[in-house]
Amino acid sequence: MRWHKRLLVAGLTGVLAMTAAACAGGQVRGAGGTPQPADGTGPAARQTAKANDSTFVYAPNLDVVTDWDPATSYSNEIVALSNIYEGLTRYNFQTREAEPRLATEWTSADGGKEWTFKLRQGVKFHSGATMDAAAAKKAIERTIRKKGGAAYIWDPVDRIEAVDATTLKFTLKRAAPLDLVASSGYAAYIYDVDAVDADGKTTAGTGPYTIDSWQKGKETELTLKAFEDYWGGWTPEQYRKVSFRVTPEITTAWQLLQKGEVNFVQRLNPQLFEQAGMTDNVRTARSPSFQNLLVLFNTAAGPTKDVRIRQALQLAIDYDGLAAALKGSGSKASGMVPEGLLGHVSDMEPKPDLGRAQELLAEAGYGPDNPELRLSLTYAQGDEDQKMLVTLLSSALKKLNITLQAKPMTWSAQWDQGKQQGQDIFVMYWYPDYPDAYSWFLNVFKSEDEPRFNLSYLKDREIDAAIEKLPELMATDALKADDAFKDLQKKIIEEQAAVAVPYVQTYQRALTADVKGYVDNPAYPNVVFFYDLQRAR
Amino acid sequence: MLRYLARRLGQALLVVAGVVVLTFTVMRLVPGDPAVAFAGPKATPEELDAARERFGLDDPLPVQLVAYVRDLVTGDWGVSLHTRQPVRDDLYLAFPASLELVGAALLIAVVVGIPIGVLAARYKTKFPDFGVRFGSMLAVSVPVFWLALALQLLLAGRLDWFPVAGEYDSSLDTTSPLTLWTNITVVDALITGNWPILTSTLHHLVLPALVVAAYPTGVIAQMTRATLIEESGQDHARLERALGFGETSILTKFALRPALSPVLALIALVFAYSIVNGFLVEAIFNWPGLGSYAAEAIRSRDTPAIAGVTLLVALVYVLANLVVDVLQGFLDPRARTR
Repeated sequence: MRWHKRLLVAGLTGVLAMTAAACAGGQVRGAGGTPQPADGTGPAARQTAKANDSTFVYAPNLDVVTDWDPATSYSNEIVALSNIYEGLTRYNFQTREAEPRLATEWTSADGGKEWTFKLRQGVKFHSGATMDAAAAKKAIERTIRKKGGAAYIWDPVDRIEAVDATTLKFTLKRAAPLDLVASSGYAAYIYDVDAVDADGKTTAGTGPYTIDSWQKGKETELTLKAFEDYWGGWTPEQYRKVSFRVTPEITTAWQLLQKGEVNFVQRLNPQLFEQAGMTDNVRTARSPSFQNLLVLFNTAAGPTKDVRIRQALQLAIDYDGLAAALKGSGSKASGMVPEGLLGHVSDMEPKPDLGRAQELLAEAGYGPDNPELRLSLTYAQGDEDQKMLVTLLSSALKKLNITLQAKPMTWSAQWDQGKQQGQDIFVMYWYPDYPDAYSWFLNVFKSEDEPRFNLSYLKDREIDAAIEKLPELMATDALKADDAFKDLQKKIIEEQAAVAVPYVQTYQRALTADVKGYVDNPAYPNVVFFYDLQRAR
Repeated sequence: MLRYLARRLGQALLVVAGVVVLTFTVMRLVPGDPAVAFAGPKATPEELDAARERFGLDDPLPVQLVAYVRDLVTGDWGVSLHTRQPVRDDLYLAFPASLELVGAALLIAVVVGIPIGVLAARYKTKFPDFGVRFGSMLAVSVPVFWLALALQLLLAGRLDWFPVAGEYDSSLDTTSPLTLWTNITVVDALITGNWPILTSTLHHLVLPALVVAAYPTGVIAQMTRATLIEESGQDHARLERALGFGETSILTKFALRPALSPVLALIALVFAYSIVNGFLVEAIFNWPGLGSYAAEAIRSRDTPAIAGVTLLVALVYVLANLVVDVLQGFLDPRARTR
């Protein structure tokens, strides 16, 4: 047999084998959604999917859904689930208060240890069941029982009672701002426990959208459609369909946005963001997040045990230079609590002062005319913003005769080392799981025998006592809580110098200009509440 | 032939075993607690303990290796940290799309690379030869991400000839849902006669396939040229000339067959190479293949997913070489004795 005939035989065998394999069985892509009979031969169907009058296209850079269970979900799916599920309340970062959602009003008693929520009437789950106090109780109890994701936010709860169909009563073990807890983007959803589907074929929420199709790993991973029985009703201007087009590359996302194939890009780099601001049919939105960078100094051991050295380090950071270098992806922080949260202080912007830093170092026996000081620092590998901070800090410290031995690490390695008190300076981001500044103080600055997130290793009884009082104040007297947060920040940042807070991360979004009503709510990172949007005519 | 096949298969298994051990070692050498990566950045000590117990992380390393190999053999490739799905399922979803892209690219590479290689050999040291050599050198050396971005910007962004990104128009999922058989969209659309999806996929495939095809086209053209020139200097070519055959006939009728043997081996190698080389291209064109999955796995330091991709790519390399060995033995019996 001639060689090319042999090749032909081999090729044919391959094709036959493939066809045989193909005949083993088949399934429809996107099954679980609403596929319709094949009739897509018209020109409209052949056109590239355009963001049209009825579909809002969101371009995330990561997988859309990793966990469909509203009890345990704790990742990227917050964007989709926040439109499928609702909580009792939703946080308003402008008023810094929780607002009605499934609960229309609420009261607290017994010093913040008893909370009664009045539920909205006439609300249906996607399953068709009625949302009432018994259903809400079951949902929260299931979330607590599953112990996954951010379920710990309900830790203060001792007992839940469905007093009647519209009254839900919580009795707590200790005082807590339950209206804020209930507004969390994670673990606070009210859902029909009998309709939860871990495979994402159906949804069990009360939100304005329900699932249309989910195709794991595909470019258009998820499509949502309007829930016709939504309690808020629908108007013609709203988007009744939403799709998520996973776009890892920023440049690709930018091209798709320019062509109108996507409506919303959750992040652009500073250069493209600037370009977007000057492009027709595209508008940009910049807003501060609730995530800030903490530079934690080791207060327990090593040279930074000396408060004067910690203060000198705070003074050596070029805060304005750093904010400028970040080109809009971060803005200079004021205090530890980001803007939009109760406890934010607007007059605590740090200022660098190398002269004063040198004096403090001299008092501690270091500085230009003294022996060299070597400090170890760990930060997140691959984070360009943190790298920028380290570069600027290293060069400033060189002038003060301090050598910074900075090491980029994966979070797990950095955290492991941090728990062993293995560095002088630990750099990390912090964000709250529900919109409450308490998260920073409880987790990062309350004394711990075995460090977990208190990676400055601060142990101060007075600070601990003040932190313990915060939940009750938050639950009963917002003004006093605000003052308490301010006092604590002064103690921790100025007196103890346990931390420096150089910047708060900033969201840089780009949208097509025909989208109206977009508001970036930092309490729900990267979430677009599609129901609130309207398309311009 | 059977002994030859058994020998090659044994060697392939050894290579795979080596890769498994190496992958496991690297996974464990990465600093940091793998339990943290699974349980999340704010994991409680209890959650960390549960993750450690679930994955046997407290066991001695040899025990963990044995368990890892046992799991791999039984089809358990671990759970991805970023998708929370079994790695095997993730790969099953992603790999066919990569296969589709690289398959199309190799088709372009073979259809273009071999004829231009013949052309260059036929007109050695003349203008067509210089053109082919320059072009193939350029195709081999241009960075793939640059080419991808440039073509995307020009042919999709500016000229609007092709879509910017994606595998096919996703609205077709509603109007012309595709029945899956092989998970390779083009093949499934062809088998089921789903012409809207087939045409849309082919339209979306052009740009990424051209980018991935650049490197294989260049090396195949160069290799074809070099082996043909070598073959045309052999004794049999002199005899063929003496018998009155023209240069083109000698090249295409007599020299091409022996010259194709090394080209075939090269195709297998560039096939496996292109799977990895295509990772960046996939990310740029939103192609739902291994590349996007691997990129996300690397970004989130998802060691089970990275190990899964590594192992799969190693298997592709080994399998591609095995197929070439068998094919070479089939085409040229002398190869079986080597």
